[in-house]
Amino acid sequence: MKTVMKERRWVEKYPDLGTGPVAAEPCISPEYFELERERIFRRSWLNVGNVCEIPERGDYFVRELAVCNASILVMRGQDGVVRGFHNVCSHRGNTLAWDEKGKCRGYLTCNFHSWGYDSSGQLKWVPDEANFFDLDKSQLGLTPVATELFNGFIFINLDPSPRENLTQYLDGLDVQLKGGDFDKLRLARCYKIDEKANWKIGLDAQNEVYHLPFQHRYIMPDLFLANEKGLVRVMDVTFFNRHSVYSCEMNPGHKPTPLESIIMEMAAAGASHCRLPVAGSDFDFYLIFPNFVIIFFRGPTNDSCVTYNFWPLAVDRTIWEIRCYSAPLQNAAERLAEEFALTRTRLVFDEDATAHETVHTGLKSRAKKYLLFQDEEIQIRHFHKVVEEHVGPATGA
Amino acid sequence: MPQEGIANPQAKLPGPFRDLEPFADWALPTERERMAARESSRIEELQVFYSAMMGRLPAIVEYLKQFPLDRMPEDSQRLLEMALSLVEVSIAVELYRRPQVINGFDRSRFAVG
Repeated sequence: MKTVMKERRWVEKYPDLGTGPVAAEPCISPEYFELERERIFRRSWLNVGNVCEIPERGDYFVRELAVCNASILVMRGQDGVVRGFHNVCSHRGNTLAWDEKGKCRGYLTCNFHSWGYDSSGQLKWVPDEANFFDLDKSQLGLTPVATELFNGFIFINLDPSPRENLTQYLDGLDVQLKGGDFDKLRLARCYKIDEKANWKIGLDAQNEVYHLPFQHRYIMPDLFLANEKGLVRVMDVTFFNRHSVYSCEMNPGHKPTPLESIIMEMAAAGASHCRLPVAGSDFDFYLIFPNFVIIFFRGPTNDSCVTYNFWPLAVDRTIWEIRCYSAPLQNAAERLAEEFALTRTRLVFDEDATAHETVHTGLKSRAKKYLLFQDEEIQIRHFHKVVEEHVGPATGA
Repeated sequence: MPQEGIANPQAKLPGPFRDLEPFADWALPTERERMAARESSRIEELQVFYSAMMGRLPAIVEYLKQFPLDRMPEDSQRLLEMALSLVEVSIAVELYRRPQVINGFDRSRFAVG
């Protein structure tokens, strides 16, 4: 056991984060949300997916970034390069690709007047071209969006000239997450939850393990290492400028269910073929500011990861996108172990999404002006501080 | 009675597991279908399926391991899907002791798959 059970450990390590209450207003204020659009989402590097979703040349996917009023097309060109574009036709601004994912075979054509673009975004075909005026197709490709990759994860930045590249933005996280079999990952499952809650409420609820033995009492009362009172203690919390990571150890005294015992035994007998950089623990939760989370799970033989993208639609509505990645499966035992892991984590989302909404409802009443955080919730305190550094303090709080 | 090792087009499951055929409706290919089936069943039905499958699971997996996942014979594929349904059904039997997730989220706004 590496976890130190002492109380109030993190405030000693990070005294600058303070111990006071934190304003609730930013979670419910429409004015604050409008500022977040401009000062956070339009200027930050935002994850939109992983290269394994577009493995072949011409493959693309579309993400609706309502928070930035943008539809983003991410496509792998014939040259193998992954590029991001505004999903908007150069002719009269129609939305180009309508499907969530697809393949550009030759040209991607606009439904309106059939203008055609190749997989690198170049305009190649205009019906009745001679009847236009001074039309230079070479200057009328799709509008590019800054796009960079990190361990296969695709990030875009809607700032026309981002002030930092992705490596600078990640600020050391890229070093921490070096190595590992990221190239083996495949998208095993995707969940999409449409919740009536502020995006930060959802993110905050995920960004701590204090709630596990309580809110998840049916499904994981004893999964993570806890003190003698059954209160979960994280192994470590580290900050990388805007970003954070906390790590947990599994509880060696965890009592598996009968099915879990059978499945774990089968899984442990398998061959190892995927290792990810889990930082000396069993569970690492990375929050990459503002709205992206990567969670690494150490498996008995193979590691896996789950990502969250919290996409705000409005101050009180968020799409919580969840993607589960793992290495290709080799046999039925691995298939069952994966299903076990997926279904159990799905239950967490199921229970949590309900609570995201009940918290939002509570805060919206303005009965409470402040959120209170204990020492084991210091990562949330950090997140709210970073939000405030970008947006400024809420008025009316 | 079909002989062991001889393909029987009427059989839903591989020979050694033909006694599980009364549960073949649980051969559901997607997580969404398995989840919906759990939630629309009675806990007594789930318990019966769970009990019938649990003791056989190690043998089922041992049997299925001989096939690559993307080239499973039809009857084995069904058996695999039933095992996946067992994983889904165990949520009700082992955790919540009722078919639905306690404090679960609105299904119309929870997209699976």
